[in-house]
Amino acid sequence: MTAVENPAPQQDSTTYRPSPVQRLLPFAIAAVVPFILGATTENVNFWWKALITVVVLAVVARMAWVWTPRGELTHREDMRLWRTPSDRSWAAVTVFGLLVLPFILASDFTPPMDFPWATWFAVVNLVLIFAMGAAAFNLLVGYSGQISLAHVAFLALGSIVGGIVGVQWSGGNMWVALPAAALAGAVVGAISGLPALRLKHLYLLLATFGFHFVMMLVWREYLQEYFGFVGIRFKGENSPRIASWLHWLPGIDPDDNGEFIITGQFRWYWVLMPITVLSILFMVNVVRTREGRAFAAVRDRDVSASLLGINVARSKLLAFALSSAVVSMSGVLASFYIGSRGEDSFNVQTVLNYAIIIVVGGFSSIQGAIFGSAFFWFLPEWFKWAREELWIVRDIDFLSDYPSEIDLAIKGFLVVIILMFKPDGLAGLWKDVKGWIGRSLARRGP
Amino acid sequence: MLLAFGNFTADPSVNLQLLIGGLALGAIYAVVALGFVLVYKSTDVLNLAHGEFLMLGAYFALTFLISENLNFFLGVFVLLLVMLVFGLLVHYGIMRRMVGQGFFAIVLITLGIATIIRALLLIFYGPTERARLDLLPQGSFEVGGATVRYVDLIIFGVVAACVLLFFLFFKYTRLGLHMRAVADDIEAAAAMGIDPDKVYAMTWAAAMVMAGVGGLLFGHVTGAIDRSIEAIGLRAFPAAVVGGLTSLGGSIVGGLVVGVIEQFANGHLGTKWREPVAFSVMFVVLLVRPTGLWGRKDLERV
Repeated sequence: MTAVENPAPQQDSTTYRPSPVQRLLPFAIAAVVPFILGATTENVNFWWKALITVVVLAVVARMAWVWTPRGELTHREDMRLWRTPSDRSWAAVTVFGLLVLPFILASDFTPPMDFPWATWFAVVNLVLIFAMGAAAFNLLVGYSGQISLAHVAFLALGSIVGGIVGVQWSGGNMWVALPAAALAGAVVGAISGLPALRLKHLYLLLATFGFHFVMMLVWREYLQEYFGFVGIRFKGENSPRIASWLHWLPGIDPDDNGEFIITGQFRWYWVLMPITVLSILFMVNVVRTREGRAFAAVRDRDVSASLLGINVARSKLLAFALSSAVVSMSGVLASFYIGSRGEDSFNVQTVLNYAIIIVVGGFSSIQGAIFGSAFFWFLPEWFKWAREELWIVRDIDFLSDYPSEIDLAIKGFLVVIILMFKPDGLAGLWKDVKGWIGRSLARRGP
Repeated sequence: MLLAFGNFTADPSVNLQLLIGGLALGAIYAVVALGFVLVYKSTDVLNLAHGEFLMLGAYFALTFLISENLNFFLGVFVLLLVMLVFGLLVHYGIMRRMVGQGFFAIVLITLGIATIIRALLLIFYGPTERARLDLLPQGSFEVGGATVRYVDLIIFGVVAACVLLFFLFFKYTRLGLHMRAVADDIEAAAAMGIDPDKVYAMTWAAAMVMAGVGGLLFGHVTGAIDRSIEAIGLRAFPAAVVGGLTSLGGSIVGGLVVGVIEQFANGHLGTKWREPVAFSVMFVVLLVRPTGLWGRKDLERV
C-alpha cells in the first residue's frame, strides 16, 4: 500500500487566537452604544446620531471580523454558532441594529417623501411575533420534514392559555401565561404529532389539518362559554405590566399611578425583541445538537435513521413538541400585543399566510422565517405608501381601487415565482448577495 | 361542560331528510373529490387549489350562462372549453417546472395558485355575492315525508356518469393507458416513448374541466355565489381521503359516506361540529388504512 503524502497541518503565522476580551469587545460595544445614543435626546442633531451609528457599525463589524480565530480550528471552535469572520461581524451588526432600531423609530425624525416611518414601529413588532412563530414552523416543516398545517391551531391554543391563565386567573399576567402556554403547547403538540408516527407527507398534512378544525371548535366553544361574541380583551385592565418589586430596574420609570403597563410600540419592542431573539437562538441551537441532527436524519429517511440508532418516534414527537411550544408562546404574545382575540381571528387564511411567509423567506432555513415575516408585513405598508405617494404609481386608479386584492395577488404571484425560480427564497438571495460582496471585496485585496 | 351537545332526535322523517341531504352533499363532495383524485392519480400532486378552480368554474358559469345568456348547452361547452384552456395554462405556465420538486413545495405552489385565483376573482367580479344559478330544474318531490330536489338527483347522475366515463377512459383508451403508465413510473413510461409532459397537461386540463362541471353543479345548490364557496375544496378533502386518493370509485363512496356523516353531525350536534366530525372520520380511516379505503399502497425501499 502506497503511503499518500498528506500536507502537514500548518501551525505558522496563519493560526490566530484572539483573547476572550477581544472576542467579546465588539459585542459589548454594540450592546452599549445604542443606549448612550438613545439617552442623549437633547442637543444632538439627528444626523449626527446617524453618522455616529454608521461609524460604530463599521467599527464593530471590523473588530468582530478581525478578532475571529483563524487557521487550524479546534473541534470546539468549529462547532461555534458564529464560526467565520463574516458570521461574527453580521452577528455584531445585528445586535447593534436591533438595539438602535427602536430609538430610530421612536424619534420624531420625518423622513423624505413622507415615508410612513412611525407606523412601521407597529410593523416591526408584528414582524418579531411572526418571525418567532414562522421559525418554529420552519423547524418542524422544513428542518424536521414533518408536514403540518396545525400551525394556527397552536396560535389559538396560545390565545386560550393566555385567556385562562393570563386573563381569567391572574388578570393580565402575561409572564405566567407564557411558560404555561409553552408547556401546554409542548404537551398538545406531542399529541398532535402522534399521527406522524404512522402517516407521512400528504396524509400527515391532512391529519394535522383535521387537528386544526378540532382546535377551532375548542376555541369557539371556549369563547362562547366565557366571553361571548365580543371575544377576549387582552388590553385595558388586562394588559401586561411589570410588577412593582421590579421597578428598580434601569430604564423603568412607572407611570403616574405607580404602575408600569406595557403599552405603546416602544415598550412592546423591548418585551418582544428579547423573547423572539432568544427563542430563535434556541431553535438555531437545537438544530446543532444531537437531537437536532436526529431531526434531519429522520427527515431524510426515517428507516435509515432508525438503523443508525435514532429513536424515530421520540425524535418526531420532540420536533412537534418543540415547535408547538414556541408557536403557542408566540400566540400568547400576539394576543396580548394585538389586544383582542375574537371568533374570526384564526382561519384558514392565517395558515396560508404562514405558508407564504416561509416560502418567501426561504424554505427550511430558520433565518428565512425572519426575512419572510419582514417581507410579509412590510410589503403592504410599502405598497400603501407607493399607491399614495410614489410618482407615477399614485396616478394609476386601478391600483388604488383594489388595494387589498392587489396585495393578495402579488403575494400569490411571489409564492409561485419564488418556488419556480428561487426555491430557497429571500434567505438564499441574501446568501448570494453576501457571497457576491465577499468575492468582490476579496478581488480588490492584494 | 365546555362542549355543549345538541338534542338527539329519533324522529324517522327528520333522519330521512338528513340522510337525503347527506347524500346530496356527498354527491357534491364526490364531484370535488374526483378532481383531487384525477390530479393525484397521475401527477402525484395534492392540489389544494381545487376549491378555487371550482370557484372559477362557478363564476365563469355565471358569466357565460347568466350575463351573456347563452344557450344552456352552448354555454356549458364554452365554459368547459375555457376551463380546459386554463388547465393547460396551469400546466405549461407553472406546474411543468415543478416536476420532481419536493412534495411540500408543490403543495405550497398550489396554494400560491389558489391565492392568485382568489385575488383575480375579487378584482374582476368584486366582493358582492350573486344569486345562485337556476338553470337546472328547481322543483322537488316528497318521499316518506322528506323532500328530494331534482337538482340533487341530476348532480348524482352527473357524478356517476363522470366516474364511469373516467373509468372507461383509464381502462380502454390509449391516453388513459399513458396516464396510468406515467403515474406508475414516470421514467419507465418516458423510456417507452410516452411524453409525460403531454400526459400531465391533459391531466390538468381534465381536472379543470371537472372543476368546471363541479362549479356549474355547486352553483345550483350553494346559498349564494361569492368568494366563500372555495371552502368546498377543503371540506371535500375528507371525502377524497376516505375513498382513497388514487381511486375514482372511492371518491364517490367516500363522498357519500362523509356527506351523510357530516349531515347527521350537522343536524344532531350543530353546524360547528361539521368539519371536526368529517376530519375525525378521515383521521380514523387514515389510522386504520393509511392510504384510504381503496388507495394505492406504496412500498418503501431503503
